[in-house]
Amino acid sequence: MGVKDSAISIKNLSFQYKTQENEKALNNLNLEIEKGQFVVIMGPSGAGKSTLANSLNGLIPNFIRGKYEGNVVVGEMPVKETGVSKMAKKIGLVFQDFEAQLFSTNAKLEIAFGPENFGIDREKIEEIIKDVLRVVDLESFGERHPATLSGGQKQRLAIGSVLASQPDIICMDEPTTDLDPLGKLQIFKIANNLHENEDFTLVIIEHETEEALHADRIVVMKDGKIIEDGKPKDILKKVDTYESLGLMPLQIPLFFKRAFKTEENELPLTVEDGIKLFKENNLKIDDDLYKQLLDKDIKRENGYGETVLKVSDLKHTYPGGVEVLKGIDLELKKGEFLAILGHNGSGKTTLVRHFNGLLAPTEGNVLVNGLNTRENSIYEIGKHIGYVFQNPDHQIFADTVYEEVAFSPKIRGCKEDEIKQRVKQALESVALTGYEEADPFMLSKGERQRVAVAAVLSAQPQIIILDEPTTGLDYAEQRQMMELIKKLNEEGHTIIIITHTMWVAAEYAHKVAAIRSGEIMKFGKTRDVFKEEEELLKSYLKTPHIVQMSNVLNKTVLSVDEMIQVTKKRG
Amino acid sequence: MDMFLYLDKNTIVHRLDPRTKVILLFCSFVMALMFTNPYILSAIAAIIVIYGVMGKSLANLKRIRMILIMIFLLSLVLWSLSYKGGSTQLLGPITLEGILFGVATGIKFDAMIISGMVFLSSTKMEEISLGLVKMKVPYRGAFAFSTALRLVPMIVSTSYTIIQAQSSRGLDLKSGNIFSRIKKYIPLVIPTILSVIRNTNVFAMALESKGFGYSEERSNYLNIYLKKNDYVFLSLGVLLTIGCIFIRVVGIVN
Repeated sequence: MGVKDSAISIKNLSFQYKTQENEKALNNLNLEIEKGQFVVIMGPSGAGKSTLANSLNGLIPNFIRGKYEGNVVVGEMPVKETGVSKMAKKIGLVFQDFEAQLFSTNAKLEIAFGPENFGIDREKIEEIIKDVLRVVDLESFGERHPATLSGGQKQRLAIGSVLASQPDIICMDEPTTDLDPLGKLQIFKIANNLHENEDFTLVIIEHETEEALHADRIVVMKDGKIIEDGKPKDILKKVDTYESLGLMPLQIPLFFKRAFKTEENELPLTVEDGIKLFKENNLKIDDDLYKQLLDKDIKRENGYGETVLKVSDLKHTYPGGVEVLKGIDLELKKGEFLAILGHNGSGKTTLVRHFNGLLAPTEGNVLVNGLNTRENSIYEIGKHIGYVFQNPDHQIFADTVYEEVAFSPKIRGCKEDEIKQRVKQALESVALTGYEEADPFMLSKGERQRVAVAAVLSAQPQIIILDEPTTGLDYAEQRQMMELIKKLNEEGHTIIIITHTMWVAAEYAHKVAAIRSGEIMKFGKTRDVFKEEEELLKSYLKTPHIVQMSNVLNKTVLSVDEMIQVTKKRG
Repeated sequence: MDMFLYLDKNTIVHRLDPRTKVILLFCSFVMALMFTNPYILSAIAAIIVIYGVMGKSLANLKRIRMILIMIFLLSLVLWSLSYKGGSTQLLGPITLEGILFGVATGIKFDAMIISGMVFLSSTKMEEISLGLVKMKVPYRGAFAFSTALRLVPMIVSTSYTIIQAQSSRGLDLKSGNIFSRIKKYIPLVIPTILSVIRNTNVFAMALESKGFGYSEERSNYLNIYLKKNDYVFLSLGVLLTIGCIFIRVVGIVN
């Protein structure tokens, strides 16, 4: 293969947002991407990934202004001078927030928007629409209003609407962050199909390390610079670098590195290679050590208290006549930690909104600490059960962190001293002591998420529901958030989380409920549910690598730490 | 939850050229605003409702029925109490003329809202902007107008989520007097505004990234042109409006 033409060429690029004083979002960055490459860009929050993406089509510096230095050439066009709308023919940009980038009345018109801007005639647009709908697998959805599509379908439409201008480079900025497992899978499928075209260049910013395996090249960023750049099989072996950056390392190499100090270049990346090495090295999962794990599970279970939440034959039908919940039975004891899994539209959110009385059952009952949600107001039920919504920005409103956290005890009529005490405790719990006077809107996403948790904690509910508490956070922030929730659980709170992130459920939840089409498909101890990998896959729930590896060995471990605990040399 | 007003149906009203519908909307406003007589206003409202039935848009009217009723009652009460110059005194400051004027004003506003609703229920946003462009409104202006309409459902659905989030924290919107209630809306209004600002920013970036403003010459995937039905509806609408102007000017009714 000869030297390919350059698709993207970035020289000494620096950018400083107007809000930044000393630090820079991009700091003297250099990057060359060849035509036809599939590049995954990774990095912790604040590394400058989105800034880089927005520099590729000229949104920076033409739309988002700031101090710009250096030179970016994309598809042989100087980006800064060319302007955003003209760059659209060369490079398509897809954003994480799929709601905000769709604006047409139906999918066809959404796709037509780009070609219309370029003055393409009607017959040709008709052809483009047909092609694009096929590529993004939305052929039967042409007449549908974008608002009626699922999250994954919306994101696919967003990709389609950008492909319609027929660029030969596409850059997606965390396209799968807000998607369920099926939605994610389909986006990667489209990416892989696009990659089959040798001249099509693909740049994806992604934090799912397992998915980066399929790329041609991984670029790792930190503090506005590129610090690692190479083939996935080389980069992904650097598990220590990944951990220290706050990125999720692959579990299989991490296990061998931690347990046996295996040399970096010999580390296996996939489950298959992991098992091969495991067997070659004469390793086994020790029965006695594994039994200790199971005993620990049982001991934990015996420590639970009385029933705090009882859901019996819960059905819910929306006004349009759609039955979302088809008879759910669930019981939760004090001190349990439950993860609810399932795809978008399976009824997870509808289910948990019954727990605190936001929704009333069409049939059946929900009892919280013995109180029927039908007979008690949200205000009453809210004393027992707190609900942290997915997006902290949907609830934060106060000027200071203190005011935000004090809101709940205040409207519940607590005295000044009591309020102070509660805010102090809540902020301690989320490790935000000292932030009392900070403006919540100036904090990072991870910190805002913690403020939202503190704001619910200050009402001192026994049960806490968290809707996707790790979405939009990088790995280090996800860990921090989950450790925090674990601590709350150990202090006696009963925890319910909704999550799409399988390793989070594996490592933290005691029990798992997998929901499919309004019914509980699997419910039980996390270990027992994750054993049934095939069943879970039917709902597109893919167990983490380390769980897959242990399942091949006929045992089920839930984390790298557990795997290390139970592994022994034969003989 | 579906917050969008456009109803994807194939009716005679849906098939009309957007320009026809814009002109009919304008005619309905002119007619409604001209009169203060409750009987003739009722007749105009009835015609508008029939137009709505033809466009199968009544489902949307059901969604705003509370607003329609509130406007009618509010107008009735306010005008009954404040109307000056009525001669048939009924009770205190309330006169028969005041009540009739209140009824007329209520019908007038409801008729205009219904007419607007029928328009939005039967016309795609893209058709609205294309219609405006064909009526010599600059594309950017036409697009801005249709985008403003698009923001409404976005704001409604965001605020719906925010209401749920805040009531989960104990915000109780149902109790308290009017002043304490207004204060309670702060935790709803601030996150809503900030979310909308954030969304519109991404929206603007997505627009630019899809080539918005590439050149003045833009093609259109939708094809609109005036058909037989358009001429029929336009003639009826314009004749009706002229008829109304005539009886108003001659002074047959007020």
